[in-house]
Amino acid sequence: MGEAALVNENPVIDIRGLRKSYKKKLAVDGVALTVKQGEIYGLIGPDGAGKSSLMKAIAGVLSFEQGSLTVFEVNIDSEAAAEKVKGRLGFMPQGLGLNLYGDLSVEENIDFFAQLRQVSLQQLSERKEKLLTMTRLDKFRDRPMKNLSGGMKQKLGLVCTLIHNPELVILDEPTTGVDPVSRRDFWAILAELLREQGTTALVSTAYMDEAARFHRLSLMYNGQVLADGEPDAICQQAQGCMVELTSESQTEALGKLKSHYPQLEAIGTKIRVFVDNLALDEAASTVSGHLDGLQIKSIKAFDAELEDAFIALLRQGPLAPKTGKDESIPRFDKTLPDDKAIAIEARQLCKDFDQFRSVDKISFKVRQGEIFGLLGANGAGKTTAIKMLTGILPPSDGEGQVAGADMRNAAQAIKERIGYMSQAFSLYLDLTVIENIHLYASIYGVSRSILKQRLDWVIQIAGLEEVTAQLAGSLPMGVRQRLALGCALVHQPGVLFLDEPTSGVDPIGRRHFWEILMHLANVEQVAILVTTHYMSEAEHCDHLALMYAGRVIADDTPGNMIQALQDEAGQLLNITTDQPLQALALFEKSDFKGVALFGRHIHLLAQDRDTAEKKIRELLDKESIKLLNLSADAPSLEDVFVYRVLALENQEPE
Amino acid sequence: MNQHGFILWWDRLLAMTLKELKQLIRDPVLLLIISYFFTVDVYMAGSGINLNLRNASVMVIDHDHSAASRELIYRFRQPYFDFKGEIFDTKTAESLLDQGRILAVLDIPENFQRHLLQGQATAVQFQVDSANTVLGTLATSYATEITAGFSQDFVAKRLGLGAEQMASLPIIQNRYRVLYNPNQIDGWFMSISELLTVTTMLAMMLPAAAAVREKERGTIEQLAVSPLSSLQILLPKVISMGLVILLGVAVSLFMIIIPVFDLPVKGSLGLFFTVTGLYVFTASGIGLFVATISRSLAQVTMLVILLMMPILLLSGAWTPPEAMPQVMRWAMKISPLYYFNEMSYAILLKGAGVKILWDSLLGLALLGAVFFNFGVWRFRRQFG
Repeated sequence: MGEAALVNENPVIDIRGLRKSYKKKLAVDGVALTVKQGEIYGLIGPDGAGKSSLMKAIAGVLSFEQGSLTVFEVNIDSEAAAEKVKGRLGFMPQGLGLNLYGDLSVEENIDFFAQLRQVSLQQLSERKEKLLTMTRLDKFRDRPMKNLSGGMKQKLGLVCTLIHNPELVILDEPTTGVDPVSRRDFWAILAELLREQGTTALVSTAYMDEAARFHRLSLMYNGQVLADGEPDAICQQAQGCMVELTSESQTEALGKLKSHYPQLEAIGTKIRVFVDNLALDEAASTVSGHLDGLQIKSIKAFDAELEDAFIALLRQGPLAPKTGKDESIPRFDKTLPDDKAIAIEARQLCKDFDQFRSVDKISFKVRQGEIFGLLGANGAGKTTAIKMLTGILPPSDGEGQVAGADMRNAAQAIKERIGYMSQAFSLYLDLTVIENIHLYASIYGVSRSILKQRLDWVIQIAGLEEVTAQLAGSLPMGVRQRLALGCALVHQPGVLFLDEPTSGVDPIGRRHFWEILMHLANVEQVAILVTTHYMSEAEHCDHLALMYAGRVIADDTPGNMIQALQDEAGQLLNITTDQPLQALALFEKSDFKGVALFGRHIHLLAQDRDTAEKKIRELLDKESIKLLNLSADAPSLEDVFVYRVLALENQEPE
Repeated sequence: MNQHGFILWWDRLLAMTLKELKQLIRDPVLLLIISYFFTVDVYMAGSGINLNLRNASVMVIDHDHSAASRELIYRFRQPYFDFKGEIFDTKTAESLLDQGRILAVLDIPENFQRHLLQGQATAVQFQVDSANTVLGTLATSYATEITAGFSQDFVAKRLGLGAEQMASLPIIQNRYRVLYNPNQIDGWFMSISELLTVTTMLAMMLPAAAAVREKERGTIEQLAVSPLSSLQILLPKVISMGLVILLGVAVSLFMIIIPVFDLPVKGSLGLFFTVTGLYVFTASGIGLFVATISRSLAQVTMLVILLMMPILLLSGAWTPPEAMPQVMRWAMKISPLYYFNEMSYAILLKGAGVKILWDSLLGLALLGAVFFNFGVWRFRRQFG
């Protein structure tokens, strides 16, 4: 194993055959894993996979029925045993700032946790200064916790967890609901802190693209470990590879491929398929063979990323696809206004709250049949923009039109013509699925003569046939979100607003969700405005606007955005060395852009590969660090996002 | 509004009202609380709380030990007093009073009988624990009556007057006729009073809880972007909870108050339920206002308790308005429970009709309109 320099071989956590159930529901089903000292170990899996239960058991706050659990070589078989190790570990539970006190200031929160852990005053002041400086929270030390942004809350949570210098930190989904820039920042700080102290970390996440941050990880599903090991090794466990292509008629091509490949998705003009059991060279030719007659503009095969691998592993294992079921999505029973008409238009929209300008002169257009993605950090003004466009909040200045109605004086008309799905699940948990749909059908005035037919349609389009009589509260996240979408579609609106609709939903659920959205846009010509923190979802959008501090700082197609970054900052270099942390420090000091640590790899942006490579080799040689691998790739949307936002953040004096 | 729009408006209201009722039915804890208030709580108030003096424990220091003293002591008996025995010194008496073990001590001096027989005036001392002023006052006045009766009888006997001669003496007899509650059954007053209090609390609490729950769970956001008006969001909560409360009042009246306490309903039940409906509407206006300034169910609960206190004090149930300071009397005019109280007793016990109650009815309706509109206005400003 390559990480020998970083990681000592003593297992900090050793788990065998662990089982935990709540009443009759099995939450953790025979999990085994070992975490070594100094590792960042990841638990990745969807909502309800058993990550939180497992972490709580390790932290000694949850009892379990079967199996053995050893932490710091202490067998945790009783509460007394758990008490023995509690002082040596730190635990940060799930939820933004949930373990912190909203009315206490940043500093008071830290002091409180220090007192709880009986940190001496001198140690406290030393550590507090250091941690506050590292997390750049020192400027906000007097601010009440509740007034911090999501990213800052999580950083404060981390500081409070680390204040007693634990040897093991357990972080439960610290980055869920946090924007990509803050997320990247969080990971960088965590990596640095752990390196300095030699601390071990067990971290869970629902974001597949964060897998590269871990040294090793376990993929969890339904209480079981689906696969474990280093990120690259897990990707290889899924038998097969990815093929990406563009052809002359995307819809036709999708139709032809659908029967052969269960794992298929359209991204912009491209189609992506997972080809089971074939090597790279064979895969591309087999796929093109199925597209007989259609002209293929481009095609390439490559190894699967973790998200695709995860779905493939599930498909090949516990979640074999249901066959024989007709997956066709039902049509609207009315036709929407002629296509390509403008559905949403914002012109110089502004919103002021007291002295604070939340949205600053934003303008954009969305046509019928288009999926428009609004990206931005927490607090960039996305939700406020949506609230104005949906007629809840009157704008301070500017104008806009939604579904043919003027937002300044026809809020009621807008409300009748749009569908809306909010950030948090906002349906009634104590009503059943069908009762929720029925309620919204009545609210939106679906006439009684077509009510029955429309309810069936909603159930079918959202795929809720099997759960109609269940209480909404008993559904898993992914299904709840489809129900929310179904309720937003009950009046077959021409415009759909979705505010972080897939936050916390597993990859399969998200994929299913996006399939419905793509269908609505492509077939029914619905205009969709969506916000998301998942950059892999942003790729599905026809065009994107990036918001920062209330302004739109970029507005283009995903492809053009990536191209623009490449033109400006160059390609993405993926560098692997034998001493990643030292190398990272070197690159950060030099003038490279976009330097970031991904597990054992370092990413940076370089205009010219050859000159950059030369410089990298020079730098590494000087410190006698060995370069193991260097490859170039196109930057991702996340790179675009982080680069653009950081460029602006650095301009501001603050 | 055209006909289609009109039907749509009512359809939406109906759908939302049914939704509220379904949610309530699925909340067993809340259902239990509501049932408790309308049954057990009303029963306990009607049967347990007593405004008369009953079994007040009394002890005696008898320095005389004579036939006269024994006869006087004998008159302190049940149901008003409970004679607990004799003690021998004032210290013990004081300490027992301090500990709250007894309510009163009767101290009979030496030579009590002799003085009486010699035709001299004499006195007894009656020490009363008046920490509870109601009990204290009652005990004192009962004791006064007993002593006066004893003294009158003693004098009559001393003068050797028989029953016939007694009738010829110039004694004023106070003959009273008790109206509306001839047997002065506390259960009638107490159970109705408790029913009105419970109605007030639930009429504020239930709609407020239903509204704030939408805030807590974030469902309000989904409603705000729907074509529902604020009135269409709020009115169903008031209607559904109002129906539940009216049902509760009916259960309480027909299953507890009438059969258990034998309340003879003098007036029109239809009028009583109409008034109750109007009152629930008024109180829920206050509840909606509470919901707009609260962020959680806990805050709603605290605020409702806070508001209950002045509403009860100003209701006139415990003190009639004439006995209040002028400022309080004005304040009573904006306390909805004052009108509700007046009308409920008038209808149920006195058999009053609209002819007599029209001014209270008008007052309640005006308050209702103001409170409800204020609640809706606050809500609209928040979620417009």
